[in-house]
Amino acid sequence: MDFDPYPDRRIVGTARVPTGPTGPSGPQRTAPPVPVKIIVAGGFGVGKTTTVGAISEISPLTTEAEMTMEGVGVDDPGQASAKTTTTIAMDFGCVTIDQTLKLYLFGTPGQTRFAFMWDDLVRGALGALVVVDTTRIDDCYPAVDYFERAGLPFVVGVNTFNGQLGYNLDEVRWALAVRDDVPIVQFDARFRGSVRDALLVVLDQALDKAMKMRAS
Amino acid sequence: MRHPADPDDPAHPAAPGVRPFLGNSGSGVRYQQLPPALPPGPPLGEQGTSLRPFVLTSGRVDGLDPNIGLETQVSSQPGAPSTRLSPEQRAIVHLCGDPLSVAEISARLRMHLGVTRILVGDLRAAGHLDVHVLENDFPDPETIMRVIRGLRSIS
Repeated sequence: MDFDPYPDRRIVGTARVPTGPTGPSGPQRTAPPVPVKIIVAGGFGVGKTTTVGAISEISPLTTEAEMTMEGVGVDDPGQASAKTTTTIAMDFGCVTIDQTLKLYLFGTPGQTRFAFMWDDLVRGALGALVVVDTTRIDDCYPAVDYFERAGLPFVVGVNTFNGQLGYNLDEVRWALAVRDDVPIVQFDARFRGSVRDALLVVLDQALDKAMKMRAS
Repeated sequence: MRHPADPDDPAHPAAPGVRPFLGNSGSGVRYQQLPPALPPGPPLGEQGTSLRPFVLTSGRVDGLDPNIGLETQVSSQPGAPSTRLSPEQRAIVHLCGDPLSVAEISARLRMHLGVTRILVGDLRAAGHLDVHVLENDFPDPETIMRVIRGLRSIS
C-alpha cells in the first residue's frame, strides 16, 4: 500500500486499474513476451556492466542475490568470521526484439565463489559471452570452466578497452586453452554495434546447438 | 550446611530474589519492568524496507520453484483480492500489471532475488500472479533466428 520505492514510476501501476471501464480484463491484457537470455560473464571490472549497458534499451538494473552457506568453503571467510552470507550484485538489461520476444542480458560475477548461482542463471540460457581483459586473463577461467562443463555455447570476447589489444587472439586462445570451436572475438564494450556483433556470434553458436538438438 | 528449605540453590538459601516468579509473584516488580522495555524495542520508522530477507519469506531460504527463473515473465491476476498480503507481496502484484521479469521485480523493489522468487511462488500459489513458464528448456532454432534478425536490425 505505502510500499512504493519508485513513486515516479507510479504510472506502471495505474495503467491497469482492474476497475476500469474496459470490463473483463482477462483476454485484453498484454500477452507476456517469450524471454530469452544471454549471460555476460567475466572477472571483476572487465566491462560486463558496460557491455550490458551498451546494448540494453533500459539502463542496467541491479538485482541482489545472497551467497549463503553453499558458498562457504570456496569463499573461505576465515575462522574468525561469523559471516555466513554475502550479497552480490548482478546487472542486467534487455532488448525487445518484438512484441512477443525479449532478450535479457545478465552480467554475472565471474569469480569462483559465486559459481553456486550459475546453475540458476544458465538454465534456459541461449549462451554466454565471456568478457576478457587481456591484462588479467585468468579472471575468466572459472567462467570458461563452468560453461564448458555445463555445455552452454559461449564466446570469448576480448574487450579492447584502450583501443588496442595486448595480445593477438591466437595467444589468448592458447592462454585460455579453449577448444578450437569456441570463437574468440575482439570487441569494445562501450559501443553498441561492437557488442551487438559479439552477441551475434554467441547467437550463431546457440543456433548450432539448437539445430543439433532438433536433429537428434 | 545447606538450608533444608531451598535445596536447589545452596549458595543463596534465603535470598528472596532467587526465584522471582515464586518469591515475588504478588509484588508486581516484574510488571513494572516490562512496559518501559517495549516502546524502544522495534525501530518503528525503519521497519518498512529493512526487514531481514528471512522475515519476508517466513524463514524459508530454499524450496524455490526451479521454473521461476530470472527472466521468467510474471503478471498479476486481475480481480484477485489483495487482502491479507504483506506490503512486499502487494508491491509485487501492483508492479506486475503488465508482464515483468522476476529480475526486474527484484531490481525495482530492491528486494533480494531469492526473496523475490519465493514471494512470487507464494503469490502464484495463492492465485494472485500468473507465472509464465516455458515448456522447453532451450529455445528452438526459429526463436533464435528471430533474435538474430532483431539484433541485426539494431544499429
